[in-house]
Amino acid sequence: MKDFALMMIGAALVNNVILARFLGLCSFMGVTTRIDTAAGMGLATTFVITVSSMADWAVQHYLLDAYGLGYLRTVTFILVIASAVQFTELTIRKVSPSLFQMLGIYLPLITTNCAVLGVALLLVEGHMSFIGSTLFAFASSLGYSLVMVIFAGLRERLALAQVPRLFAGPPIAFIVASLLAMAFMGFSGISTG
Amino acid sequence: MVRVDGGVAWFEPEQTTSCGHCASSAVCGTGANGIGSIASRIELRRFSLENPAGLRVGERVVVGVDDRALIKGALTAYALPLLTALTAGGLAQGAVGSDLVTMAAMVSGLIFGLAMARIAARRLSRRGELAPRFLRRASPGESCG
Repeated sequence: MKDFALMMIGAALVNNVILARFLGLCSFMGVTTRIDTAAGMGLATTFVITVSSMADWAVQHYLLDAYGLGYLRTVTFILVIASAVQFTELTIRKVSPSLFQMLGIYLPLITTNCAVLGVALLLVEGHMSFIGSTLFAFASSLGYSLVMVIFAGLRERLALAQVPRLFAGPPIAFIVASLLAMAFMGFSGISTG
Repeated sequence: MVRVDGGVAWFEPEQTTSCGHCASSAVCGTGANGIGSIASRIELRRFSLENPAGLRVGERVVVGVDDRALIKGALTAYALPLLTALTAGGLAQGAVGSDLVTMAAMVSGLIFGLAMARIAARRLSRRGELAPRFLRRASPGESCG
């Protein structure tokens, strides 16, 4: 239990998908102009990453490892992720057409989010159990959502701030992102020796 | 606005992709109405409102949803099924400790969570919390980008 908790904290904060592994940067810059859209995208990505990691674990153990097809891993995982996104889209549409109308815009974007494939490939390197890999994927995607919401909050404040014209817009957003990344470096510890 | 049925107006969201701006978008399927194309996705997201201001087909309007509607919707659709799946998986892992049993429990938890999400979404819809509202007519040249 303690191992799982430490692994989840490490995946969410210390090795954050966006700020430490530099994955999912397009959505990090593109969907963080408002907190509610960033949270919507974060939750949708959390769902897809967790569900696709469950499917990826099964495919890796019962198909790729069992038949020595490891060289097909990347292609297979891309197929699994695309299927997971399509499954999510169909399910949300069936569960509630109103929710689909509101949230459907984010789902196609997730297919091309490299964070989803990145987490799936990290899980293979980790050689974890099913529950371990699912919790790792869930925690990684929670870390992704957390950073998306924090950055959206900062950008909402930035929109009201007086910024020199040269830095207005994306330049100041990149500077703030770098400061946020430095703040997250604190989670990995600072050497004093 | 794409259609009027009596007092009800039907709308489609404007949505473009970077692919849609390409000069070849008409021949690669992005601009076509085929399955999976942007046009067909937009058609799936068509929604209706009571025609509030005597709008006519072709007019562009700005609609909005309640500030917390997106968060509530996302929590209902994504967080609820995930929590039930992870809870079921955790309980199965603690009780049995087999990967196959945990996997089956997680899938069952996910299905149960989706059923609960359906009930919760119906409740939100009944209260009108997910419905978009007419705000104003869009000014010429105004875009959602």
